Amino acid sequence: MSATVELARLEGKLFLREPTSLFFGLVFPSLLLIALGQFYPGFLDPVADIGYRRYVDVYAPVVIALGIATVGLVTLPPVLGTYRQFGILRRLRTTPVRPHKLLVAQLAVHGTVAVVASAAAVAIAVLWFDAPFPEKPLWFLLSFLLAVTSVFSIGLLVGAIAKTTSGATALGMLVYFPMLFFAGVYVPRTVMSDALLTVSDSTPLGSAVQALYDAWFGAAPSAFNLLVMVTYTVVIGGIAVKVFRWD
Amino acid sequence: MAVIEVEGLVKTYDGRNVVDGVTFGVEQGEIFGIVGPNGAGKTTIVESVEGLRRPDGGSIRVLGLDPIEDRFEITERVGAQLQESRLQDKVKVREVLATYASFYRDPADWRELIDVLGLGDKAESRYGSLSGGQKQRVSVALALVGNPEIAILDELTTGLDPQARRSTWETIEAIRDRGVTVVLVTHFMEEAERLCNRIMVVDGGSAVAIDTPAGLIASIGSGQRLRFTPSGPISDDLILGVPGVTAVERRGSQVIVSGSEGILQGVSVALTGEGILAADLTVEQDSLEDAYFALTNQDRTQDEGDAT
Repeated sequence: MSATVELARLEGKLFLREPTSLFFGLVFPSLLLIALGQFYPGFLDPVADIGYRRYVDVYAPVVIALGIATVGLVTLPPVLGTYRQFGILRRLRTTPVRPHKLLVAQLAVHGTVAVVASAAAVAIAVLWFDAPFPEKPLWFLLSFLLAVTSVFSIGLLVGAIAKTTSGATALGMLVYFPMLFFAGVYVPRTVMSDALLTVSDSTPLGSAVQALYDAWFGAAPSAFNLLVMVTYTVVIGGIAVKVFRWD
Repeated sequence: MAVIEVEGLVKTYDGRNVVDGVTFGVEQGEIFGIVGPNGAGKTTIVESVEGLRRPDGGSIRVLGLDPIEDRFEITERVGAQLQESRLQDKVKVREVLATYASFYRDPADWRELIDVLGLGDKAESRYGSLSGGQKQRVSVALALVGNPEIAILDELTTGLDPQARRSTWETIEAIRDRGVTVVLVTHFMEEAERLCNRIMVVDGGSAVAIDTPAGLIASIGSGQRLRFTPSGPISDDLILGVPGVTAVERRGSQVIVSGSEGILQGVSVALTGEGILAADLTVEQDSLEDAYFALTNQDRTQDEGDAT
């Protein structure tokens, strides 16, 4: 246990030394919400089409999903790719520490970043833009947790098979941008066609956005959305653990 | 007392035996060298000893333990420096050593360790800012931070400049002086000759010889090599006719004559007979490198660039 803690402390310090990861993982989601809310015309006005809510309310769960995806798909995989390329995972195998503890440490560090980034986004929405505090907090937490586990499972799979830093980056991006689209980062889910929404719902991030939105505004998330995220976590996460290469 | 006993080790990849029945023992307190061409199976052998690879045949005992079955105990007592491994550029020397020290039940004092390795003033430096030699010494420090009884160092000095290589040799001797048994994989014969008590020459997955450096040189018979620039044209046949001469090579204007000890006399006489002087004459005795090339049947001229 103590080795995992020591590793997590070290990995945490190393994360803090990467300005790009720090900015895009930690700060960017909140910054995007502020920029849209402050400068996008009509973003703070209630709109009939979306149940007299404001676009800033719709976008708050979206930037949370964006933060999770950035940490899980852009920051996490290259770290694992680098550790494989540099032989750090192999070196760890020659010590009494089981190398999976490094994975646990990595997931803990990146999970913490996702929590902090999301908490900041919620705080901005509530304190700056007068959104309600998530009305079903436990459902909200569960949705958030499943969003993290499902997206990180995909990131872990990318990191499990990529041989190098650049390979992990490229593969991560290949998943990241389509996922952002289906999460409604470019066009909100409220204007997607039914067919597009069906696809969106079947991605972990699309389901995450819907579940977070529902819980935020007082409804229990749909079983379907939750199930999608659970399925990705179990299936993709399981495959990642199974195919993970130490060298 | 043998701390490593390997018998009939076989490792197969894609139906090919990359290690084919290798047997050797390493005695406590010695520096044991493993040399051989690229792809000879050196790394596979040491990684099997470390328990990173599961042998397909034969037996391995390390400190009386089985590297696969007793994997955990082996990692506590055997330190390994792996070929071509690096660390994160932004990690500080102190941080990585303190973290790795926390993995072991009885770690070495890493502060003392980096002093011994000449990294005392680099504790707060980031790995990425270190020179190649310093990085390798960090790697050695990590192999030693668990207070191991055996340290296995794989191609420690590959890619280092001559000065860094020499200072790394002193490091290895310092490790041995701490009572640690060292297994050194290298393809620098000068390094093996200077450091190792005994050397195993590996070629094509087999151990072709195990002996002291002096023993290996003696095993190929003592020979001599003459290099000189003749003052006029001479034929190969003239020199080949001298008793004891086995080969004549030309490199530009230089002539290289190989043969048994004492060919200098005969060649001098033959040249004088033709009225030719031998300028810039040097006489070389066989070295470990010659023994190595003889034992591994390699083309010396082709590999000379690599080995120097």
